[in-house]
Amino acid sequence: MSTAVPSAATQPAGPMPTILELRDVAVHFGGVKAVDGVSMALAPGLIYGIIGPNGSGKSTLIAAITRLIKATRGDLILDGQPYSRLSPSILADRGVARTFQTVRLLSELTVRANIQLGADARAGRRRDREAVTQAIRATRLEGYEEFYPNELSYGTQRRVEIARALAMGPRLLLLDEPTAGMNQAERAEISALLRDLRADGLGQLLVEHDVQMMVDTCDYVFAMNAGQLIAQGPPADVVRDPLVQEAYLGRRWRNDA
Amino acid sequence: MIVYFQTHEVLVQGTCIALVLALSIQVPMRMGVFSFAGAGCYGISAYLSAILVLERGFSPFAAIATSVVTTAAVGLVLGVIIQRLTGLYLAMVTFAFDLIIGVLVINGGNRTGGSTGLFGVITNFTTWHMLVLAAAAVTCAAVSELGRAGRRVEAVREDPELASSMGINVSRYRLVAFTASGALGGLAGAMTVMIRTTIAPRDIGFNLIVLGLTIIVVGGTRSWKGAVLGAVIITWLPSALTSIGEWNTLVYGVMTVIASIFLPRGLYGLWLSGVRWWQRHRRAPAPAPALPDDAPDATSRLALASPGSPGAAAIELGEGVK
Repeated sequence: MSTAVPSAATQPAGPMPTILELRDVAVHFGGVKAVDGVSMALAPGLIYGIIGPNGSGKSTLIAAITRLIKATRGDLILDGQPYSRLSPSILADRGVARTFQTVRLLSELTVRANIQLGADARAGRRRDREAVTQAIRATRLEGYEEFYPNELSYGTQRRVEIARALAMGPRLLLLDEPTAGMNQAERAEISALLRDLRADGLGQLLVEHDVQMMVDTCDYVFAMNAGQLIAQGPPADVVRDPLVQEAYLGRRWRNDA
Repeated sequence: MIVYFQTHEVLVQGTCIALVLALSIQVPMRMGVFSFAGAGCYGISAYLSAILVLERGFSPFAAIATSVVTTAAVGLVLGVIIQRLTGLYLAMVTFAFDLIIGVLVINGGNRTGGSTGLFGVITNFTTWHMLVLAAAAVTCAAVSELGRAGRRVEAVREDPELASSMGINVSRYRLVAFTASGALGGLAGAMTVMIRTTIAPRDIGFNLIVLGLTIIVVGGTRSWKGAVLGAVIITWLPSALTSIGEWNTLVYGVMTVIASIFLPRGLYGLWLSGVRWWQRHRRAPAPAPALPDDAPDATSRLALASPGSPGAAAIELGEGVK
């Protein structure tokens, strides 16, 4: 189990192997620069976070990484190979899974079938069944298998989403606001789950604007504002960064303090 | 039984044709493709198979096979051209495609028999052959609803973006939908000509779309069971209601309206809701949500940043910013 406060040693530096790399990625919608020149490199097996106020471009960046939105410029590189032009469906084959900002479960399928949909992305039936069982166990969904999504609480639905992504057997998991709309206890639960997964070697990129959640969970944090990276480093340092505080709270608060 | 079958043979034939035609609209619909191209392919295949038998002396099975392969190819090409369209726009384009086929056969000269059509397509094709082919089509549709294929089709329809993040090549599925629609429509058309021996422009028009849609609206859009249910009801009801004379069209119309208003997922959907209700009442209640033992409690959270530091303020206020 990782501790909530990361050490400097967890920072990726120089020649460390990277699983995902972004070089000067930008997404413009007409004149609106939702993401404007973001570069980052993620080492395998760590939890990375992207924080930033609403509208800072976090979700757009995730959409660009998963190829659901076309990047206006820049390179997306997975395991050293650029994939900026490839179809979004190949990412699943290469071990990248994601969850969405809103719950997107298939209402006609049971919890088990929804999770199986993730395992379907793998080859081999036998391993599928194991992957589903493991994902259910990891997300503590035992007993919910035969329920339909609309019978579950919001927090449980979100865990089903994470289970579905886990069943894909990813090496990198992208989570877009996994705790949005959750209460404190549910958040703590998700945070603990993500750290458990990290202990098993699963790298994650987590998007949140809940700073406390990020400090509890991440090894390394990127802060975004207005489409650009304004700070990065261990979470405790990043939240103390004046630029980050200004982005969240405004300039006046900072001057008053 | 045999006597009953013989006296109702025409209805059995009608059910098979209507069922396969309905599947040609329902199968793509299950993959989120709202296309009526199956009706146009019905027309292409009906004429093509008639011409193959009349002019080339094909056996009925060779004619059917050739026509189905051709209409599957037509479906695929159409799919490549219009696959970026969705919803009503897609439906309108495929509707136009059906109308074009109608215009082409009227103006086809001797080869298509103009507005009279073609007749005298006499073969050894029987109702039994038809039942086997229809059963094969239904089996293919049923297999696409099971297991991995069924889940993936569900994902492609409900949430294409999610589907692609699950490694599903959505546009490939949509092309399969167009191709299947062409093949099924083609099968229905070719079987019709082989059994009825004639084909005319009035047989391949707008009423095919109405028939196919009515069947899946009444029966259910999400499963082959709905198509079977709808095909049987729509084909057999008018003859069952002959005792009330011309009122039978009224009953038919009222039933369709009621189904589309109150049973958005058709009769099969109603049955499915009943099954779900029963399952809910039988199974064990939901387990109580268990908090993980290692969840940080409130005190350890606050201890992360020393009180009074800007970091702590940012953390506390940051949550409020949401």
